[in-house]
Amino acid sequence: MAIDVGEDVGRATEDEETSVPFVGWDLRRARRGAVGIGAFVALWWLASLVQPAYVLPAPPAVAAAFYAEAVSGAITSALASSVLHWIPGAVVGTGLGILAGIVLGWSRLADDVSAPVVRTLRPVPPLALIGFAIAWFGINHVGAAFIIAVGAFWINFYATYGGVEGVSEDLLDVARSLDVRSDRELVRSVVIPAASPEILTGVRTGIGRCWMLVVASEIFGVPGIGREILRASNNLQVDVVITYILVLSVMFLLVDTAFRAVQRRVLAWR
Amino acid sequence: MAVDEPELARVVVDGVSKRYPGTNGPVRALADVSFTVDPGEFICVVGPSGSGKTTLFRIIAGLEEATEGTVSLDGEPIEGPDADLGIVFQEYHLFPWRTVAGNVGFGPEKRGVPADERDRRVGDLLDLVGLDGFADSYPRDLSGGMKQRVALARALALDPTLLLMDEPFGALDAQTKAMLQDELLDIWSETGKTILFVTHDVEEAVRLADRVVVMGIEPGHVREVVDVDLDRPRTRSDEAFGRYYERILDLIEA
Repeated sequence: MAIDVGEDVGRATEDEETSVPFVGWDLRRARRGAVGIGAFVALWWLASLVQPAYVLPAPPAVAAAFYAEAVSGAITSALASSVLHWIPGAVVGTGLGILAGIVLGWSRLADDVSAPVVRTLRPVPPLALIGFAIAWFGINHVGAAFIIAVGAFWINFYATYGGVEGVSEDLLDVARSLDVRSDRELVRSVVIPAASPEILTGVRTGIGRCWMLVVASEIFGVPGIGREILRASNNLQVDVVITYILVLSVMFLLVDTAFRAVQRRVLAWR
Repeated sequence: MAVDEPELARVVVDGVSKRYPGTNGPVRALADVSFTVDPGEFICVVGPSGSGKTTLFRIIAGLEEATEGTVSLDGEPIEGPDADLGIVFQEYHLFPWRTVAGNVGFGPEKRGVPADERDRRVGDLLDLVGLDGFADSYPRDLSGGMKQRVALARALALDPTLLLMDEPFGALDAQTKAMLQDELLDIWSETGKTILFVTHDVEEAVRLADRVVVMGIEPGHVREVVDVDLDRPRTRSDEAFGRYYERILDLIEA
């Protein structure tokens, strides 16, 4: 049977022509970004001229501090130490957060049972749990990872929960009418893919939050970038503080960019 | 051809009523709706808004429960969504994360049909609805008419005996709508499916149906079941077509 879809097809491809060419747009954006960075550094420099170095060091002083920390190997060892609790904390917190979000978002019963506890625990800042971290795990990577995991957990839990709750009942009906019976299979083949944009946004936000928590989690003495920042602060070495803030920012930028690429790929259907 | 030997379905709607809880006591959506659909028949349910036709559709599809009465398919009561019932909604409800082929192959995949057999079946169905060449496109790249073709192919993929359609062409422009109506009639005669098609468009009902179930409002009930005794293809300009059209319209407006 020959069916003419010519008219339909024309309409479907129209969008592509109206969108701006990707490369040109990207270049323009990069150029504007460079201007922004330049302006920021210029302002910083100007401000540093009228302030003593322990209030705001000039950019070259920070560059020198960065170089010194880098060649001494201090940056590498601090980074290596931070990564040792950042990775397990982020992975465990993200995984448990997504899992809890799916279960509570899907099951009315689980949601009703856990709601009071969840709402009580939700406002507790991860930093307030440092006492538990020390008591349960000690002043080590596990304790620091715990703090990071708590932060990642809540972000991922709420993002996933919202995504799962928002899954269209109609899509589930379609799946049921196509022989999908069990909750497990509905969750696997409809709920998770349908909620994946929200879930991935949660993961990405969580990754950023975990880098912030790296500093907080090292407050009680676990070595790492946060520890270096706190130590330098106590010594009024603002140039070193900025050095490690930069390290943190660069790490965040690298991980975030990599994750965004993954996100784009996974959500290519959107 | 794309589908197996026709297996015909008889639908019996028997005394179906539906009440919803409301702020001022229960609201009656349907009252004592009864009719049968014969195997291989094309039935349209037509009625104004408020006549409960979507509620009726959802009850027959097993998506909602009737307050009273039963719907049965070949003697078995319908108690939930079932692979014997292929469902097509007005808003398509395609899985946006799946390609066209992935959407059509969803049912067979979940049922565990082997990949090569599944691919063959998906290919046949895309051919049937005129979408070969679009297997790898995502729904976002398709026009409304194409999306509805995908939804139709997806609903046919498990070879249901009954095809249930809720205003499937309601969101399409007139030209695409007419084209899809013709295609649906072709698919119907090729596959021999029993089709129950809900619409508010009287002209559409007269063009398509063997019989038209005309619904009235407050609460939704069957006013009359009209036999449309016209040869196909049917044209709007035909005098007899006009008479059916007027008659059904009078029933609705009366």
